[in-house]
Amino acid sequence: MNKKNGLRILLSVFLVAALFSGCAGMAAKPTEQNFKAPVITLDNMEVAHAFGYWYFSNKVEPTKGKPDNVGAPLDLAFTFNLENPNPFPVQLENLKFSVLFEDFELNTVSTNATQWIPPGATNQVLVHAHFDVRQSLLSLLVTGGFKLKEKGTNAWAALEKWWTGIPNYEIPVTVSSGAAVFKAGDMVKVATFEATFP
Amino acid sequence: MNAKKGWANVSIVVALMVLGLVFSPFAGAADIKIGALNDMTGATSDVGKDYALGIAEAIHYINDTGGINGRKIKLYQFDYGYRIPEALTKYNLFKRLKCAAILGWGTGDTEALAPTVAKDKIPYVSASYSGHLCKPEKTPYNLFFSTDYSTQSRGLITSWFDKKWPTKPDYGKRKPRIAMCYMFASPFSSSSIKAAKDQAEMLGFEIGPDQDVSLFAIDTKSQILSLKEFKPDVVLHTNTVMSVAATLRDAYALGLGADNLIKCWGFDENLPRLAGKAAEGAIGCAPWAFYGLDVPLMDKVMEYAKKYNPGIPQEKRTIHTVQAWANALGLAEALKRADKAGDLSGEGILKKGFETMRGYEIGLGIAPATYTPTDHRSQSEAKIYEYKNGEFVLIDAVDLKARWPEKWKNEWLGW
Repeated sequence: MNKKNGLRILLSVFLVAALFSGCAGMAAKPTEQNFKAPVITLDNMEVAHAFGYWYFSNKVEPTKGKPDNVGAPLDLAFTFNLENPNPFPVQLENLKFSVLFEDFELNTVSTNATQWIPPGATNQVLVHAHFDVRQSLLSLLVTGGFKLKEKGTNAWAALEKWWTGIPNYEIPVTVSSGAAVFKAGDMVKVATFEATFP
Repeated sequence: MNAKKGWANVSIVVALMVLGLVFSPFAGAADIKIGALNDMTGATSDVGKDYALGIAEAIHYINDTGGINGRKIKLYQFDYGYRIPEALTKYNLFKRLKCAAILGWGTGDTEALAPTVAKDKIPYVSASYSGHLCKPEKTPYNLFFSTDYSTQSRGLITSWFDKKWPTKPDYGKRKPRIAMCYMFASPFSSSSIKAAKDQAEMLGFEIGPDQDVSLFAIDTKSQILSLKEFKPDVVLHTNTVMSVAATLRDAYALGLGADNLIKCWGFDENLPRLAGKAAEGAIGCAPWAFYGLDVPLMDKVMEYAKKYNPGIPQEKRTIHTVQAWANALGLAEALKRADKAGDLSGEGILKKGFETMRGYEIGLGIAPATYTPTDHRSQSEAKIYEYKNGEFVLIDAVDLKARWPEKWKNEWLGW
């Protein structure tokens, strides 16, 4: 009976210690001084779905459904390595980045899917970026007019080049202004990243 | 017995620790869900991206400073590419997620969703500042923390008439002449033209032929040549920045010689970059301070921009970040008031939150905000800036309500 009570007390002490430490077995506690920003690198960019290059204005009668201004979609998938150099686990809270075709920014993508990265480990995160000819056309027309003119091209020519070239990995796709928010305890660290593929 | 005592003591310690965890800040309180519709890929992505970043940064700030009376905001932020079907799809998702309110974006999504948000009673705080959204009997759940487009246009014309026209050689000899450049087919561009013409007529302007300038325009020489026949003293531009820059450039090159008045979306840090010398002397309405100006809370705006998006150079951040903070902080204040009143329903947020604001000061260089059950024009003051020697300088603040109280109250609401 005494032995049993002794064991209970011992077990309780362990429980208290575990609660105090925040996580049993944690080797180090995160502090402002020792919390290093995780390292993010682009592992791969894959053309997840390509549908060729086409565009229909709303004057064209579709076989089914209502006419609209529609263009070919393009789905790119970016795989990033998230390397945690810390001796404690960190949580990815959010990751965002912009995507440029050549040097035209056409998308800003983000994911709020959280994940824990163990100490010293490298996880991966896959983020899809959706584009379509109509959306990118408007973006280029409203914002890129001067720049396209300077380059001696126009929106349509640029779109055709990208939609036919990117599925063959012939056009450089740049990840820019990347920022990922990591948490450890109450601390927040933001890691930045840039990359071009291929 | 001793062992029993020990066991009891340990149990108490554990219980106290658990209670401590439960009553820690934010613990146990359910998050308040907010949806955000943004354009980061479509026709307005140049300004939409900066606004979207500002929304996320502002929500971080709100959560870091106590959230909504101790409850955190959970932000669901999506790109809709300025496509209305996508906006409707995302809106349905926000409803499923039980979002308390939505931070919307442009004229397209805001107008398409206005009847639905009214039916569903979900407050919709947009970055479309159309005067059409300010009449609660028509659009009760549409709100924004900005001077509406019509008040902006009235303020711009009034300020020019007060301050610039008396300096012209023909002052006192004839009527001043005004013309307007905008995309006829765009609801956004044309939304304040009726109000602008009303104001110009009231002040005794001669109004010239409207010029149809596409939002996609990079060559506006034909419109400028047409304007040269009318010889305007001043031109009002209500498009976005690239086409405004193109118009200013061509007017400068062809020697039009008129002053330029610009609505908020055509008047930002990118205008001088795109228009060069032609931007000198341009006058615009900016309901918020430009990024980096010395106004209350700007230090926080910049701190959070650097903290959460360090990969974006500070010189690329714009007034649109500040706009986003205004809407996010304004919504947060409404949520706090409604929560204090014990009613976080959509109707509670509207009636016990927004509509209790009387001269509410956000900071950020914004005029005090007031909403009433019969009037959702949150501000009656148009802040007027001039671009001079590489800087945006505040030159005037026209309070339309103070100057024309009867017209403000009885004539100008909702258009």
